[in-house]
Amino acid sequence: MRIHKKWKNIFLLLTAAWMMWYPVIQSNANQTTSYTYAEDGDGHYVRTQDAYLPDMTLTELGLSAAEDVFIDENNMIYIADTGNRRIVKYDINKGQIDGILESSEFSAPRGVYVTSDGTIYVADSGSKAVLIFAPDFTLIDKLTKPDTPIFADTNYEPKRIAVDSGGSIYLIGEGVYNGVIQLARTGEFLGYFAVNHAKLTFSQMLQQMLFTRDQLANLVDINPTVFTNVFVDNSGIVYTATSGTHRNGMKKHSTNGGNMFKSDVWSLDTLTDLYVDQNGLIYTCSSEGYIVIYSRNGEEIFEFGSYVTTVDIAGLFTNLVSIAVDMDGNIWALDGSKSYLQSFKPSDYAQMVYNAMNLYEEGRYEEAMRQWNEVLRLNQMSVLAHDGVGKAYLHAQEYERALEHFEVANNKPYYSEAFWEVRNAWLQKNLGKILLVLILVIVLYQVLKMLDKKHGRMAAVKMRIKKWTDRTPVIRDFAYALHMPRHPVNDYYEIRKNRRGSVMAATIIYALFFIDFMAFKTCKGFIYQYTAVEDMDIASIVIGFFLILGLFIICNYLVTSINDGDGTFRQIYLIPAYGMMPVMIALLAVTVFSYGMTYNESFLLTIILIIGVAWSTITIFLGLQTVHDYTVREMIKSIVLTVIFMIIAAVIGIIISIMWDSLYNFLSSVGKEMIQNVL
Amino acid sequence: MSYKKRVKRAGALILAFVIGLTWMPMTADAYIPTNRDTKVNPERAEYTPEDFTDYTLLLETGTVRYYYREDRDIIAVEDKESGYCIKTGADLPFSGDIKDAVKELKRNGASDEEILAAAESYADDLNTTYVGIANSLITIEYYESDKIKYISSASEEDAASTLSPVEGRDGVYRLDVDFSKPDIHLKLYITFKESSISYEIPYSEMSGQDLYKLASVDITPFLGASGGRMNVMNAETMEFETVDSYRVPGYVFVPDGSGSLIRFVHNSAAFNPYVGDIYGKDYATEMYYDYTYLDDVPVKEPVMPVFGIAHGDGQMAFAAWAEKGAEYMEIIVNPDGAKGTSYTWAYPRFEYNINYYQLYDEKGSGFFTQMDEIFQHDICMTYEFLFGDGSDGSPAADYTGMARTYRQYLLDIGELTLMPEEAGSDIPIRLDFIMADCESSIIGTHQVVVTTVDDVRDILDALTDAGITNINSGLIGWQKKGGNLITPAKMSFSRSIGSQAAFKKLFAEFGERGIEISFSRDMLTINREMTSYYNTAVKCISNWYLSIDKENILPANIPVTKFSYATPVKAAGWLEALADKVGSYSSALTVTEMGHVLTSNWSRNGVEMSLTESMELYRDTFEQVSSNMKINLENPNMYLWKYTDRYLQIPVGNSQYIYETDTVPFLQMVLHGTMELYAPYSNFSFYNQSAVLRMIDYNISPSFILSEEPSWNLADTFSANLYSTEFSLYEDMILDIYGQVNGVLSQVQGWEWTNRIVPQDGVVVNVYRSGGQERYVIINYTEAEVEYHGNTAAPESAAVFG
Repeated sequence: MRIHKKWKNIFLLLTAAWMMWYPVIQSNANQTTSYTYAEDGDGHYVRTQDAYLPDMTLTELGLSAAEDVFIDENNMIYIADTGNRRIVKYDINKGQIDGILESSEFSAPRGVYVTSDGTIYVADSGSKAVLIFAPDFTLIDKLTKPDTPIFADTNYEPKRIAVDSGGSIYLIGEGVYNGVIQLARTGEFLGYFAVNHAKLTFSQMLQQMLFTRDQLANLVDINPTVFTNVFVDNSGIVYTATSGTHRNGMKKHSTNGGNMFKSDVWSLDTLTDLYVDQNGLIYTCSSEGYIVIYSRNGEEIFEFGSYVTTVDIAGLFTNLVSIAVDMDGNIWALDGSKSYLQSFKPSDYAQMVYNAMNLYEEGRYEEAMRQWNEVLRLNQMSVLAHDGVGKAYLHAQEYERALEHFEVANNKPYYSEAFWEVRNAWLQKNLGKILLVLILVIVLYQVLKMLDKKHGRMAAVKMRIKKWTDRTPVIRDFAYALHMPRHPVNDYYEIRKNRRGSVMAATIIYALFFIDFMAFKTCKGFIYQYTAVEDMDIASIVIGFFLILGLFIICNYLVTSINDGDGTFRQIYLIPAYGMMPVMIALLAVTVFSYGMTYNESFLLTIILIIGVAWSTITIFLGLQTVHDYTVREMIKSIVLTVIFMIIAAVIGIIISIMWDSLYNFLSSVGKEMIQNVL
Repeated sequence: MSYKKRVKRAGALILAFVIGLTWMPMTADAYIPTNRDTKVNPERAEYTPEDFTDYTLLLETGTVRYYYREDRDIIAVEDKESGYCIKTGADLPFSGDIKDAVKELKRNGASDEEILAAAESYADDLNTTYVGIANSLITIEYYESDKIKYISSASEEDAASTLSPVEGRDGVYRLDVDFSKPDIHLKLYITFKESSISYEIPYSEMSGQDLYKLASVDITPFLGASGGRMNVMNAETMEFETVDSYRVPGYVFVPDGSGSLIRFVHNSAAFNPYVGDIYGKDYATEMYYDYTYLDDVPVKEPVMPVFGIAHGDGQMAFAAWAEKGAEYMEIIVNPDGAKGTSYTWAYPRFEYNINYYQLYDEKGSGFFTQMDEIFQHDICMTYEFLFGDGSDGSPAADYTGMARTYRQYLLDIGELTLMPEEAGSDIPIRLDFIMADCESSIIGTHQVVVTTVDDVRDILDALTDAGITNINSGLIGWQKKGGNLITPAKMSFSRSIGSQAAFKKLFAEFGERGIEISFSRDMLTINREMTSYYNTAVKCISNWYLSIDKENILPANIPVTKFSYATPVKAAGWLEALADKVGSYSSALTVTEMGHVLTSNWSRNGVEMSLTESMELYRDTFEQVSSNMKINLENPNMYLWKYTDRYLQIPVGNSQYIYETDTVPFLQMVLHGTMELYAPYSNFSFYNQSAVLRMIDYNISPSFILSEEPSWNLADTFSANLYSTEFSLYEDMILDIYGQVNGVLSQVQGWEWTNRIVPQDGVVVNVYRSGGQERYVIINYTEAEVEYHGNTAAPESAAVFG
């Protein structure tokens, strides 16, 4: 007992000491000025705990039309103060200006980059040069336009700059569509490092195909989207920002200039700058005042900011031109219109998220899990955290717990992986029992069969059922649908002769099919329920279902009536119903099996669905062919015409609806105006 | 634990502290304050005694002398003791006269002395209209072809003003202001008292053919303004040259959030003015009928009609508040650089007409127009002047003095009443519960329950067992499906949350133990799923129902994204009805939104209920309801303070306008000791050490929102912004935060908060007084130990002395 207490005291001592040493995370209360968003499990942007809080606002630097900002390893901010033709060096730790770089060579210094040895690179579009300064602000070199013949016709007005550890200089040039200009330290043109390709819209493609050369010459030039910024991180990887697109505007380049992100990355369409911190986190900003933070793999973590024009509030911008991140993880953002610097401090929440991500990347899964659980304490809705905890549990082989978190995070592939393990364990545990039950069922069935042969009691039961169904035509007609898929030609012939099938039974089948279809759409197992029920537009699904079915029946009747089809409207109404049993069974089977299948077995569900759909299609095809007494060729023709008619009917419907809306609006406007101005 | 063991434990902890200190970085960075902190006082203002040659002495009291300059409409207030003077106007000449005179003299070959005598310095960055505004006692804004124009009582043209004493009323003068273009006439009654001036403009005495054009009346726009740039005649070159005027060290105080200071500094950027719409915007008279929540957090609207300006380090200041017309008042601050001037100037603006968009159809066709008849309201503004640093116990010439003065005014008129507080008692804690909400389902909506009545009981039991006894609670989402789709007074209960009987039992059970539980309900926000808008929703001036779109800030699949506000009559009716229904078993009611949203209501025939009438209706209703229940209100406006027992979600910061330099607990200083004040929920970004210190600094009690089930259940509901509420995650934090805050604040419970000093950046000293004794609470936000008058406070901690 004494030993125990002693250890307890030592533990207390160490804990207290550790707490003293451990830096206190600072953040302030409820002081955000824009909402932070993150993606939820369904890919929607949802509000989340504040990730960054506006911190320092530096209005006293006397900047004018400043365009670029860079922070070195010593927490010094370098600002390209374009309007004042200078570079301002600001010491974050001391909260004061450390020096001002002025040079007679400056005309419009628009981009600044500082290498780890303190060398300052300035892109000056006015003097059309890259100016290189020593840490003490003395001019070392001036790189003017390369004299390579292939560069002769290119505009050389450098506006943004980055430099890698090998001394290669990456430039964004004003009006250069070819790509990122890469120069050697000596100023020699090495080529275009990365290129954006022009993408044609559908109408542009048509123009390219149909227009004459003269007409094409009159069109505006089709240029690729332009790079707006370039950055080199501390491991030498080059990143670029491109504006004018929401897709892949932010790229992480391999050494040959290709994009290292495997999947598409959503980006802000007015992207002005990007920055990468020591941990590989990528920060981007748009001129409209939004900041997005991505993981090193291009997964979006947070988005915040807003565009305002009539109020001046810290954290909101009218023209956000550049960002940089200091050694403490604070973001510094530059407003180009009002020329001030605004810093953002990461909240505890954001820091925990980053810590957890780093720990996971480093393979420290247990620590990552602890950190993710801390994140969950602050935000139980965090998809990132649930995903992180789930993955950590997966690594720890705690599959049941992993499932819970993957479900909240809506991470279906990982859920499937964990579910496979859970199912596997369950099967291993229960396989013996399952086999035993199966064998018992088979034996029991055989025994009953043998007994029935002897006593014939089942035959009497069957007779009784048959008599009951015969007495109830709807049941009989409904049961006929079960027979149909196996003997479509004969059975449809019976319908053609009006000897079998009833409108009532077909209506019941349609109703059942609708229920079956809705169950398939809304009640599948988690892994296969790709769209959450609450995200579905149920009204559209229901209306769409009945509209397509109704249109098909009506249009087919109209088409076949003028094409010598023998089928009556009643028969055409019955045929799809009676042919639907295979697809109904397939849908039901897929819905049920989806609860026990992982992605590994998805092919089974696909096969079931294909078989069901194909079988029903063939059955209905044969049914229509039979009632209309068509050849295959005529039948195909009638189906094609039916589809065309359906499209025409839908278009007419839409036009009528729009016209009706316009008419209603017109009458309503007249009415309101009368009320407003006359009465 | 025995004494020896305690000594051992203490020794171990001290050792740990020492080890910790040795491990700490030796060079802790200096505390760099942001605009969320209060910085040290401004420097002393330099001044020379004013020359009052062109002025007439109007009145002398024991404290001040009031002078008047007739040609420029300027009143000067001189502190008799120090000689410091604050003027209502900038006291500037019209530049045209001077330039013409100098030109004429030069042409006539006048001597340098003659030219210098005529060459009065004139403003470089103000045109003729602005010189008039800068001098004036009254400036009006009026509409001309949808555009706002300005004309002042001191205008060079088209305006005349005459000051004359009012017979039979000592110290009362009347300024008759007559504008010829536009044709508007008004009477300004000026009352001079010991150290205050009141301005009153009765609506009944406004006249003129163009009165309908009147957009607003701005009172003494340049009172206490600082800055400016002058053209001064150079005696050597005999040419005018531009010189920056002396920038008085000081600030403007605005009631933004808890309170905010805008220091007089030079800005290189041209910022937009600060516009503080008292009691929040009237959604019914905004330019458009539809309002959309975007990605920016809405600014904090002022809940009290007060502002002030302080000059120097405790030298001279004034606090100004509206006694009439506050609901139509805006506080405007033009920071240096705004509107092209280098002055920082602040004034109250009283609105009379507005420009709005009259729609024809939903497509947006329409036109801009103004009202045919202006808002009918009187104006009364009082300016109380403050002198000295408060060392004599009087309100200091700074924001603390402004707070004390305004508080005294509210106590005098009975809008605030001191609350009996037992000295040394535990501070209260607010624990709200989110019970249920709803989300979309295949058909209709589905109820999501996260806390039941039994859960509330268990949670409160757990906390009382842990030693917290001064608790009060609000139940949010107590109605079926959380109540977002049900009208406020409907007693619709769900058994899976708790039956009415279960709620009654819960209230009674804890009521006996002194823990007050109340239903919490938003009386204003409505949607079409909840009720038809006919006769229920606020109709805007354009005769369209007010529409508030929250699609951007709500989850994608939420059942409703468009909302409106109930008419004041409807909301008041619901409040009364709910109070009636629960009055028999609940001793309190928590009301959200209604406390800080004030709207008018319109119909085709014009205004159905004006802002003034809405305000009076709310006051009457709350007066009636509060007669037998305690009222808990979320961030209520001043006109409801009289009926508020608990002030919930009190702001602890400002809107963070870029030019706001400091945040101060002005609101808390005004309300301290008159009602219980609760911080925003600690669940969301308000849980760390600096937040705990902020609570102690601002003298407010902690609050939490809790649930039994994890809050991710609420992800698709209206409560999706309650990111984390599960009690099991918060139990320790509640005990910890309450323990820390109560440990300090319980020692000053029942004491009067008299001063707030910032001896250095990151350190605040709050001074409390009781029966002639003073107690100091030192709040140390820095990472270093600090000393104040021989008392020390550890890093990032608070300590009580005295």
